[in-house]
Amino acid sequence: MQQRHPLNTIALYLTVLVTCGLLLFPIYWMVVTALQPASNLRAYPPQFWPADPQWNVFADLLAKHPFMLWFSNTILIAFATMTISLAVSILAAYALSRFRLRGGQGLGLFILTSKMLPATLLIIPLFAIFRSTGLVGSLWSVVIAQATLIVPFCTWMLKGYFDTMPPELEQAALVDGCSPLGTIFRIVLPVAAPGLAATALYAFVVSWSDFLFGRTFLTTNDESWTLQMGIASLKGEFVTEWNVIMAGSIMASIPIIIVYLFLERFLVGGLAAGSEK
Amino acid sequence: MIPTIDFSAPRHRAKFGYLLLAPAVLLMAVIIVYPILLSVSISMQDVRIARIGDSGEPWTLENYQWLFGSGETWHALWVTFKLVAVVGGLSVIIGFATAMLVNQKFRGRAAARLFVALPWAVPEVVATVIWAWMLDSSFGLVNWVLLTSGLVSEPIAFGSNPTAAFAAVCFVMIWKGYPLMSIMLLAGLQSIPEEQYQAAKVDGAGVWQRFWYITLPNMLPVVGVTMVMTTLWVFRDFAIIHVLTQGGPLGATTTLSILTFEQSFEFFRMGQGAAVGVLTMVLCAIISRALVGRMAKSVH
Repeated sequence: MQQRHPLNTIALYLTVLVTCGLLLFPIYWMVVTALQPASNLRAYPPQFWPADPQWNVFADLLAKHPFMLWFSNTILIAFATMTISLAVSILAAYALSRFRLRGGQGLGLFILTSKMLPATLLIIPLFAIFRSTGLVGSLWSVVIAQATLIVPFCTWMLKGYFDTMPPELEQAALVDGCSPLGTIFRIVLPVAAPGLAATALYAFVVSWSDFLFGRTFLTTNDESWTLQMGIASLKGEFVTEWNVIMAGSIMASIPIIIVYLFLERFLVGGLAAGSEK
Repeated sequence: MIPTIDFSAPRHRAKFGYLLLAPAVLLMAVIIVYPILLSVSISMQDVRIARIGDSGEPWTLENYQWLFGSGETWHALWVTFKLVAVVGGLSVIIGFATAMLVNQKFRGRAAARLFVALPWAVPEVVATVIWAWMLDSSFGLVNWVLLTSGLVSEPIAFGSNPTAAFAAVCFVMIWKGYPLMSIMLLAGLQSIPEEQYQAAKVDGAGVWQRFWYITLPNMLPVVGVTMVMTTLWVFRDFAIIHVLTQGGPLGATTTLSILTFEQSFEFFRMGQGAAVGVLTMVLCAIISRALVGRMAKSVH
């Protein structure tokens, strides 16, 4: 590679810094707003640096709202959705990738199409079903509803990943007397770990960020809400306490931002494998 | 004794495959296929609050008469298309520019790649409340910037002015939508063979010529896929608009998704809501044909 002119290098770094600064400014503003004393939020000109950070805003938030319940509801839903979707998708994706089954192609197309269903349509029949089965208000209603979108996506993503793996290893294991199911668990899954991580991450993030399903199925009382519903409800209050909302927003986004920072490499590879092919 | 089947025997291989598929097929039949059929049947009945089983209502097409006869549907369709055009156009530009930027070779590139797509990980509701605060008509930062730079003489009321509210929805959607574009376009850029650029350099092609004759033609298919994905997302998204403007003011931000929800869960006219939803589903199916056509090649 030829040497770049020093001035060009400086220009490149400046461009990168300014671009990231501008694009990530809303995240910075969320943190600054949360830490400002409430009186500063109406200051003119705006305060760009929290000179006197108010850490008790988090205590305020926990005292005024059932925030810990929202947090644990969200975690329960996200883990249940992730586990169920992954278990079902792994088996289906493996079958679609390795076997030439009658109807397999049709099923693949169906999975692909159902990724594109509008969720606002699905909630109407699902609401009818949950009402008749008494699931409205239960966290399971949200888990089941999320599976409608997440299972197709995970299956497709994992199939793309399995397709890139050579089948020779499994054949060798089968010849050596390993059972077909044992082959999947002992040979395929360990090798596919990065793809599994990406898929699990995707399922977790989508489930964590859900608003529509919670908003539709969990309206009975605020103790069964998810984080996203809680934050949306804070915005709707008569007097909007922006510092409290932003403190809640920080807590609602930090877990998935951390997950993203650690697993981004896998995610990019997985998304590219799952969507481009 | 239960007869055991040796699934590793070649003639039983297919059975094992079907067994693996069974949970997914069953699950999808119950939570996707049945609900779709149910929603089509709800859309053809005069139902206020839907339940399963025979509602005793006669089959009717009046929901569809309302759907195509009322101005609401056409207005929502128009809003949706405007949103697709603005959000799709601008987020592909930002996505492409950021992907090109972090595709350069420089120290710290890995970190830059990580940060440039970070808004992807921010939940939609959180992104929306941050922007709602920045766009606040009295104390919002955006209005302060616009006022001090002299671009406007009085603060913009993003909550009550229809055009401004539409712009506000666009801001949030672009901010949430460009990272995925950036991620996918970067993957596309990386798959362009380096030799093409070197050959062009040898032939004396400048930076712009290389971009125009190598980068763009190679990237067109990926750009197409990302555009379709963004279009489908804008068509179906609910959280951003619902939290930011609730479809208002005066329906200026009521997309098909918002109209579906409004009819079904605010006015409790689930028959009409389902009709709007079925229309949305058909439109999404038509749009996604472009995508499915490309992807279906890899089904087998």
